[in-house]
Amino acid sequence: MSPAPLLRKFLIAVGWSGLGLVAIAVVLSDFLARAPAGAGHVGPILTPPSSLFPFGTDQLGRDILSETLHALNVTVIHALPAAFLAIAAGSVFGFVAARLPAPIRLPTRWAMGVFAAVPSLLLAILLIGLTNRDYAAAAAGLAAAPLAFVRVFDRARVSANSAHAAYARATGIAPSALLRRDLAYEVRDALLVTAARAFAAVTIILSTVSFLGFGAVPPHRDFGLMIAAAKPVYVQAWWTASFPVLSLLVLVLLARLAAGLDEGERA
Amino acid sequence: MTALLEIDDLRVVRPDTALPVLDRFSLTLNPGETVVMLGDADSGKDIVLCFLDGLSARGDEFSGTIRFNEGDAKQAARKPRPPFTVAYLPGTASRPLNPRISAVSQLARVIARKLECPRGAALAEFRGALARLAGAPSFELLDAPPERLDDVSLTWALLAAACATAPALMLCDHPFLDLSPSVAHTLTDALLAEQKRLNFAILYAARGPQSALRLGARTLVLRQGRIVEENDAAHLLGGQTHAYTQALFKALPQPVVDKPQRSSARGEPLLQVQGLGLNTPLKKAVRAKDALSFELRRGASLALVGEDGSGRRALMRAVLGLERKPGRILFDAVDLNLLSEAMTARLRRRVAFVSSNDDALDPRMTIWDTVDEPLRAHLQLSRDLTAGYRDAALKRVGLASYDGRRTVASLSPFDRRRLMVARAIVSAPLLVVVDEPLRGLDAVAQTTTCDLLMDFRAEQQSAFLVITSDFAVAQALADEAMVFEGGRVVERGQIRNLLANPKESATKALVEAAAIRPLSQAPGAV
Repeated sequence: MSPAPLLRKFLIAVGWSGLGLVAIAVVLSDFLARAPAGAGHVGPILTPPSSLFPFGTDQLGRDILSETLHALNVTVIHALPAAFLAIAAGSVFGFVAARLPAPIRLPTRWAMGVFAAVPSLLLAILLIGLTNRDYAAAAAGLAAAPLAFVRVFDRARVSANSAHAAYARATGIAPSALLRRDLAYEVRDALLVTAARAFAAVTIILSTVSFLGFGAVPPHRDFGLMIAAAKPVYVQAWWTASFPVLSLLVLVLLARLAAGLDEGERA
Repeated sequence: MTALLEIDDLRVVRPDTALPVLDRFSLTLNPGETVVMLGDADSGKDIVLCFLDGLSARGDEFSGTIRFNEGDAKQAARKPRPPFTVAYLPGTASRPLNPRISAVSQLARVIARKLECPRGAALAEFRGALARLAGAPSFELLDAPPERLDDVSLTWALLAAACATAPALMLCDHPFLDLSPSVAHTLTDALLAEQKRLNFAILYAARGPQSALRLGARTLVLRQGRIVEENDAAHLLGGQTHAYTQALFKALPQPVVDKPQRSSARGEPLLQVQGLGLNTPLKKAVRAKDALSFELRRGASLALVGEDGSGRRALMRAVLGLERKPGRILFDAVDLNLLSEAMTARLRRRVAFVSSNDDALDPRMTIWDTVDEPLRAHLQLSRDLTAGYRDAALKRVGLASYDGRRTVASLSPFDRRRLMVARAIVSAPLLVVVDEPLRGLDAVAQTTTCDLLMDFRAEQQSAFLVITSDFAVAQALADEAMVFEGGRVVERGQIRNLLANPKESATKALVEAAAIRPLSQAPGAV
């Protein structure tokens, strides 16, 4: 096998292994964190990283390592249903819509194409405005769905118009059997990649809407809210925002690696 | 006469292979001479072409000597740098041009680089070369991206570009592979006419002996990097020494005028085509002179013979339900156009299709899944019974030793073709549609595929509809033929009658192109 596919497989393995470790950290976050979520005055305020507080403390004396672990928990727990929604409303709908009759299929593709052309972040903010902040995860999932829809729809159309589909039809393979065949291969070949890609996309959307003040509500702080809270002191105390930013970056990068560094749905 | 080039004892070793990819290869080529290198894909002929064109892979190790014209013999190296112009004529199957940039523009750039002249002068040279080639399309037609040109036009363009550089040596890399025999014949004549005019030498790589016989040239038969036999093509046709050469020449399908007629099938009509308009829009009435009608009885065989674009493939697509045409198509006395898609699918399960398109099988599927699919889709068989039918079919086509979990994507074109036959076998079809079954295959693979299809027909008594541009293939797989030209049937009848006494010019051209030697000299000629 040539080096490029081998390297890709290695990176995907790194991505999924990293996400596995993240999952363990999420499950054990309450045990790993030395302070409960949002607990203030755990130490002196704005303490730089030290052996006692490896990530330092913030302006309220909160232990940033503990807060980062709790934020990881909140971010992942919100992102998982959002990613599921993005896959259901985007990929599954895209797969089905690609097989609908042309009078329904074409307008659907056009409409989803229009939504896909709009930045997902704006769509998410709009959806949160139409509902409320409790539905931020659902809004992020729906906002990421159009890009997932377009990607799966176009792939399904290529498959439906392919020479092998024509060959199967000519030899009496019914459309329903062809649909089942394509679905099986789609699930086998693309489900994990799609899931990882959707997870990365909704994580970015959720963190950004929280940063802007439209997402998570204290005391359930996610990465976006942690970074936003560090704004007033960040110039003087770099560690207050840097560690949440790095954690978010690692989380998104692991998801992108798990998706094979494929160009994904961007927030 | 001073030789144009002399290669002595050339040996090429690749770092990743234990055996040399070319060994003890010697060749003397005189100006104006033609030499054909005949062999399979891994025979080493591509290595020779790459070596002479200076395109050998990095890391290749060379030994032996090469001498150009009257110069001194020098050690073979990755870039031999001949002191004359070398033109390279590839086949369109290798996709030598960017599909989205005008073919003329790309070829003019090549000519300009070879002749070291401005682009305008190169364009003039190209235009002139094109005008000299009898039968070539116009310059204006070729000024389009290759993806919009058919293979024949693109081959003419590549030939014109190669001739425009006035080379001393032309390296022909399977240039007319995948083209119909009559088109290949015309292009070969054009190549030879240019060779006579410019006196360039030709080194021609070919998979099958047809090209060698058409060129009437000295032929080197290569196998696994070594020359196993060398002789004039005519002598090789008369008798071959090496077993491998015999296998190659056995693959040469030859139409025979007095071939014994198989018993004509007298069963019920299986496929009836009534008033079909191949060139008529769907909602318009078909004019009487354009209406095509014929029937194919159970167990009978019919070849649709014609050039690409003659209408035979449009008929095939209509029969297979891939394209709607005005008129009626009845399969087993049922009008397919009146049924729902699900009902049509149920009827079509008795239709098998062996296509020359290597993408016809789903590349994601495994060997087992591909063969099982018709059984699973149409019959409620137990797992063991399905596996039994599948294994028997794979055995018949010679794929039983393969790991059944291998995907179609990992198979060679020959394996894919055999897999299609295996899939056809398990579906026990009433009708088998075969579309250019030998196109794009090596000579030995052609023999095997042809034998497989003939055995299949003999054993299962299915009706055969054969789409081909080669009368030899048509005769091997069918008894009757319809000759197509311009979307119409111009002649039809028993193949032996068409071969013996073709009436229409299109039929004559196809018959002449298929016959390597004149039919009057063929074995069994009347």
